[in-house]
Amino acid sequence: MQTPDDEQFEAYLKRFHPIAPEPVPTLSVSHSSRRSLPFGTWLAAVAAILVIGAVILHILSNRVVVSNRSGDAAIAERHAPSEPLTMRSANAWLATAPSFKAAVDDLAFRSQTSPLPQGKQSAVAVLSKEKIRL
Amino acid sequence: MGRTERNTAEIEALYRQHGAALLLFASAISGDRGRAQDAVHQVFLKAIENGSVSQAKNKKAYLFACVRNAVLNDAKVQDRNMPLDVDSAWFSPPDRDYAGEQNLRRGLGELPDDQREVIVLHVWGELTFSEIGDLLGVSSNTAASRYRYALAKLRGSMLAKENSCADSR
Repeated sequence: MQTPDDEQFEAYLKRFHPIAPEPVPTLSVSHSSRRSLPFGTWLAAVAAILVIGAVILHILSNRVVVSNRSGDAAIAERHAPSEPLTMRSANAWLATAPSFKAAVDDLAFRSQTSPLPQGKQSAVAVLSKEKIRL
Repeated sequence: MGRTERNTAEIEALYRQHGAALLLFASAISGDRGRAQDAVHQVFLKAIENGSVSQAKNKKAYLFACVRNAVLNDAKVQDRNMPLDVDSAWFSPPDRDYAGEQNLRRGLGELPDDQREVIVLHVWGELTFSEIGDLLGVSSNTAASRYRYALAKLRGSMLAKENSCADSR
């Protein structure tokens, strides 16, 4: 049986409040991770979409360039002089070619299988004989 | 709200509500504030993992029992009997009565272990003698009897300390 003194002393003791413990790391972390997890997921998703988009754009632009180049080559093939390359034919070809690059590409890689008629020289041969002064 | 989130929220609430008393109880058993803190954290981390608290009928008594087991298991593992660390504060004193706080800590430190447990559980844990009896594996009468002895000893000890302080002034 508790006496009034006991009760009074008990009341006095209760005025001393125990000091609160430090927060449990997981409890504080779990809150932030719960909040940041969707944010992180969204960030990763957006980054992935951007990367994929960039890759697709890159591939598509390359295709366009390749197809343009192949188009130029086809046009060049169509218009390229069939006779052996001379200064005249080269000038004529440059004048009618769709672009300078396409013309040069075509002239550079065209086959030299067809023999030159007697008394004529190829433009490349003439250029190679010239002494270029720098 | 998901089941896990509900469980975590419940444990957070229990930690806010009983954390201080649990830490005091752990300190009173282990004698070391750091080990007491570790034991309390361990109990709550396990509670988050396995969700065992939500199944307990008396959650507060269950938590006190878990903390007691954690401290005693830790003491077994470490195999050492540390003296009660009364240098670090256990209480926030009323009206800045720091001398009173120190006297209380020292008085608690002088009590036998079983009496110190009972007084902490009843005064600051606010457990009934029946709950204390269940927790310690003794009858409620034994728990009440230990409490009365503890209270008398503590009062005597604190009065003596107060008087000696007054005499020294």
